Amino acid sequence: MKKIIAVLMAGMMTASVFAGCGGSGGSSGSSGSSASDTQSSADDGGAQVKDANLVDVSMFGEEDNISLKVWCAHKATGLVEKQIEEFKKAYPEKKFENIEVVAVGEGDAGTQMLNDASTAADVFSFASDQLNKLVGAKVIAPVAFTKAVTEMNAETTVEAGTLDGTLYAYPQTNDNGYYLVYDKSVVSEDKTGKLEDILAACKDAGKKFIFDSGNGFYSCTYAFTAGVKINGLEKDGVTQKFTEYDEEEAVKTLQAFSKLMHDYSGTYTSLDVAQIASGFSTGTLGAGIDGSWNTAADKDALKDNFGAAKLPTINVDGTDKQLVSLFGYKYIGVNAASKFPASAQILAYYLAGETCQQQRAEELGWGPSNKNVQQMDVVTKSDIQQAIKAQSENACVQVNIATTFWDPMANLGNKLIADKTDPSDADYFKKLLQETIANIRDEG
Amino acid sequence: MTYVEYKMLNPFQRFAYNFKRVLVSVPRAVGNFFKAIGKGIAKFFIGIVKGFKNYGVTFAKGDWATKLSYLIFGAGDLHKGKYYKGILFFLTEVLYILYITMFGWGYISKFGTLGTVETSMQKVNGIPKPVLGDNSMLILLYSVLTIVVTVVVFAIYIANIKDAYKHQVMKANGEKPTSLRTDIKEFLDGKYHITLLSFPVLMICVFNILPLLFMILIAFTNYDKQHMPPGTLFTWVGMENFKDLFNLVEGAKKGKTFVELTGWTLLWAVLATFTNYILGMIVALMINKKGIKFKGLWRTLFVIAIAVPQFVSLLLMNQMLQVNGAINVLLTQISHMFGGTETIEIQFLNSTTLMARATVVIVNIWVGIPYTILSMSGILMNIPEDLYESARIDGASPVKTFTAITLPYMIFVTTPQLITTFVGNINNFNVIYLLTGGGPSTEQYYQAGRTDILVTWLFKLSMDTQDYGLAAAIGILVFIVCATISLIVYNNSKSMKDEEAFS
Repeated sequence: MKKIIAVLMAGMMTASVFAGCGGSGGSSGSSGSSASDTQSSADDGGAQVKDANLVDVSMFGEEDNISLKVWCAHKATGLVEKQIEEFKKAYPEKKFENIEVVAVGEGDAGTQMLNDASTAADVFSFASDQLNKLVGAKVIAPVAFTKAVTEMNAETTVEAGTLDGTLYAYPQTNDNGYYLVYDKSVVSEDKTGKLEDILAACKDAGKKFIFDSGNGFYSCTYAFTAGVKINGLEKDGVTQKFTEYDEEEAVKTLQAFSKLMHDYSGTYTSLDVAQIASGFSTGTLGAGIDGSWNTAADKDALKDNFGAAKLPTINVDGTDKQLVSLFGYKYIGVNAASKFPASAQILAYYLAGETCQQQRAEELGWGPSNKNVQQMDVVTKSDIQQAIKAQSENACVQVNIATTFWDPMANLGNKLIADKTDPSDADYFKKLLQETIANIRDEG
Repeated sequence: MTYVEYKMLNPFQRFAYNFKRVLVSVPRAVGNFFKAIGKGIAKFFIGIVKGFKNYGVTFAKGDWATKLSYLIFGAGDLHKGKYYKGILFFLTEVLYILYITMFGWGYISKFGTLGTVETSMQKVNGIPKPVLGDNSMLILLYSVLTIVVTVVVFAIYIANIKDAYKHQVMKANGEKPTSLRTDIKEFLDGKYHITLLSFPVLMICVFNILPLLFMILIAFTNYDKQHMPPGTLFTWVGMENFKDLFNLVEGAKKGKTFVELTGWTLLWAVLATFTNYILGMIVALMINKKGIKFKGLWRTLFVIAIAVPQFVSLLLMNQMLQVNGAINVLLTQISHMFGGTETIEIQFLNSTTLMARATVVIVNIWVGIPYTILSMSGILMNIPEDLYESARIDGASPVKTFTAITLPYMIFVTTPQLITTFVGNINNFNVIYLLTGGGPSTEQYYQAGRTDILVTWLFKLSMDTQDYGLAAAIGILVFIVCATISLIVYNNSKSMKDEEAFS
């Protein structure tokens, strides 16, 4: 029996070697075929995966006296350092000279990589919107353990990390988005469904509502809700594509937003999200749209009165439209120019593995992309995680976003809320929308 | 107009007269500037022609060793007994040939295309590894290096020929070549400036000239987000980036942005320079006035603002000027004291263009005048007291003493400083970027806001959208504007024309 298995395994391995010659296609197609767990799958030209965290030591190949640089978010550095110690213990056969952890924000990592890949980190965390830039510049190496990673993580996160059939990064979180946070003593739970109700409640209590309209990350909600959604990139790899939209309808939605901002001017304020936690603690704020990474601070400020929900709806010509947000994932990538490519891949696999994701969910409150961790209490029993999950169903995925996307979107938000804007002037909004799209697509 | 006639005019007429004179002199100054450039270029080409002539003449007159120097460096010197120099020349040639064959040729041969082979990925033992192709950026960088090295070696080559011929002539006259010891002595004596300056000049070439040439060349390539080495290649596009910047067709955003931002940059530089200069001077005069008590205290109070790093004050200012920032809170509380009930929420940085620009200029006054006060106080204390004394005896009014003594003296001393401040303000990145970040935003511009000046736009283009080619083109144009303005103003200033005045 053993012999037969051995022969079969050897056959599979040779087959996969040939498959490797034909290019690295088929990673997205293979996700549904196998329902088994991740043990010792011989995919990708002989990649040996031991379990959801570790791979076989033979994968290191010739590499020894390993030194690596890791970039992660400032908040996570302590935890990542601990995890790396565990990683070193898991491979006693190998000598690790130095694994250095440096705090570089996920929003920044892509740009830093592009500026000088040769001195950048070997393993780095980044937000999904930078993937196309990194792939275009070929500074990110494709994932070595595609099959195992595909099976372990939520389908959407794998899909968003795949470009032209190749998975380029290890999914790490499934929570990079924003949602409604509110003070339960100001806005009662049954009123969180409608933006109009929330604003009215805040105004009655003399408190503010914060929505950072001067930041493209948040203000693109206005465009998305209006039906102007992003739809990947054009063939040139840099120009943003949009879905088909009804311009009249879109203009009406923008007008509705602008009208609310002006009707509730003084209540509806555009401020940096950092002001939300401080607003809650000074008691000047009723509700706000805040990112998942600020959750801990918001909760500290409000204690028992803290409430979280998906984004509300807005009334446009009598129909309630759900606000559509930008929702992204965080990934771990491997520098293509790494001096220890195999070690970097193995470390990335470990850091994006089940145990590490669980630890981050428990200690930092980061929503996991791993399917098993998603079923754990730390996720299912958390209001916040559930609010994030509900919002993720009404969102555009933050991937394949052009570098020219953010500024024009920020400008759109600024213009909607500007004092001199007249919400009833449909022509103005039509022109604004057209100019915004033209700027994002760099036409002209 | 004679001096007497001038003295008979009233102050307004004098101002008009002087103003007219300045205006008239500007075209001439610009003309002179370009004439000088033209002369320089002509001289350069004449020099080249002369050089070629000498090259031929020397070859015709040279003996066999001198002629051999045309191929083998140092042959002439070795033949005439100037051994150490001959060996140095020869070594240069050997090293240069080694450099070109081992390193330089690989890059310079691709200089025309900036590379043709793209990087691809390959899997080894299941681990993806890149197969590196050409790297346009390295090709450009090392090609520039190779060109600079070649120019230097060419200069040595010409020196070698001249030296060979010199020694041939010396030998014909029965003179002996100087020994190594005498030459070294000469470098510590007559040619000491060469000994001292060679190292700094070398460093300037490596750390300033080389990167500068590299950056200038990038302006003529399509190095942008679509063409990022090492993944993809970029190549020459000629004047395309400059065309984009001067494309003023309706709907072409880059051209519109460039032209309007240039206007605002110049306006900003003028406002920032002169508000600081004039207000700083007024405060310095007030502090320096006789009868003011606690002069040291006042000076210290103003200078304390310098003790806090500029970027810290600017970031704090940014926070204070937000809608819920300290300034709005203060205004609200003041209005409440007088019975107001409304919360004041002025959008200093994010509403209208005029408001944001005015805010930037005012904050710049606040961070800038302490420096002017410092230097002005120094200058004021340096004005010889006897000048004022004689003016008083002659019965001059305080205003007269100011316009006839203080102001001319200060302008004389500070013109070069004014020029540097002006150029510094054209490139004043900190104040704009940290205070407003370029906002208020607009859909009319390409990746820029209403208070962005050219440098901050350049920064955004290179850091946010990776439009390196375009950014380099803007850099070149900013340099041209700064250089022209400073050269013209400085060459026409009194401090330049009449160095000895007031001494």
